Amino acid sequence: MLLVIAYSREARQTLRNICRGHEESVVRRFGRVVLLEETEFGAFLATRLRVKHGGDIQVERTAPFNEFDAVRPAVREAATDYESRETPSLPYKQFRSETDHPTSAEMKEQSL
Amino acid sequence: MICRVGDVVRCGEVVSIEPEVTATTVADAVRTESTDADDRIEVSCPTPSLLHEAVGCLYPGMGVQTKTALARAARTRGMTTPYDEDLEAARAKLTDVCVESISLRQHREVMAGTEETVEQARVRAAEARGRVRECEENGLATDEANSRLAAALQYLSEAETAAIAAEQAYTSAREQRRAQLDNREQRFRLQDRVANYEREAHAYLVDQLRDEFSETLTTLSEMMADQLSDALSTPIRSPFDVEPVPAALAVGHLGNLSAPVVLAIDWFESPSKASEWLDTSVIHI
Repeated sequence: MLLVIAYSREARQTLRNICRGHEESVVRRFGRVVLLEETEFGAFLATRLRVKHGGDIQVERTAPFNEFDAVRPAVREAATDYESRETPSLPYKQFRSETDHPTSAEMKEQSL
Repeated sequence: MICRVGDVVRCGEVVSIEPEVTATTVADAVRTESTDADDRIEVSCPTPSLLHEAVGCLYPGMGVQTKTALARAARTRGMTTPYDEDLEAARAKLTDVCVESISLRQHREVMAGTEETVEQARVRAAEARGRVRECEENGLATDEANSRLAAALQYLSEAETAAIAAEQAYTSAREQRRAQLDNREQRFRLQDRVANYEREAHAYLVDQLRDEFSETLTTLSEMMADQLSDALSTPIRSPFDVEPVPAALAVGHLGNLSAPVVLAIDWFESPSKASEWLDTSVIHI
């Protein structure tokens, strides 16, 4: 999908107008953020916004996230185990110390 | 006020001009300081207040945003609101936000171009390699094919280097842009804050003048029962639903217009009566 974010009032207004006129191409709308269909028409709308508002419009292309494909099993297991911890207030740092799970710092350094 | 249309110059508090020009053209001339002697219309007068933009030109079929105009009228009378201080502070902060413009357009375009060049270079290298193999299989001399292959590989390697450089430049520009987007985010929030205060102040001013506006409309309707009979024959729920011309006349009466009002309606006995009511000079068409 195409993620479009407006960074000025004018850009937000144009974004609203475009969404109103082309609901079929809008997947989701959150205030000044919109997800457009990844079609040529979605790209047409995003490019129009970019041309009109320059740096006040950010466009990113999103991809579905598959945790079974994008990350190593250790990360997935760490997440699953931590979410089933018994003490909800236990910070990840402490939770991890008695296990083999990767540290936050390790994971922060590793790009997907 | 000095008003010149073509070669005809008229001076005074109240001037009448021939209906050869439209009211809005004359109003534009009031609002712009012309130095061009070639302009057809020229009006020398005091600088119009913001209110003039809203109700400084009266003609049949005109439009007016009554509440906005009334809030502006309040400002011309020096009225203030409890939101003014916050509004000023937010505006000041907004002008302090520095948003640099880092355009990624160039980077995106260059990167897409270099990627395409690499693709083409790969195809060319594969073809050259195929030709070398063909020559070998057919027992032909491979010298020329080999030198072509070498050239194609050289070209591919250059294209790849260029593509890597373009991608690195794009990535670092994107990182810079991230900081810049934070500034834009802050500017955006301040813009919203200013707009909110403006709305609050606006509503406050309208509230302050609501009764006076209502009374002025009543006075106006008594003054010109004939002209207003149509406009007032249907019951009005709120004074702000009144038609544009009486609304503008009432707002103009309440605020200070500073500059001449262009009048293309004949509601008053005479243009000088209109000038009296609006407490400013009048250009009557």
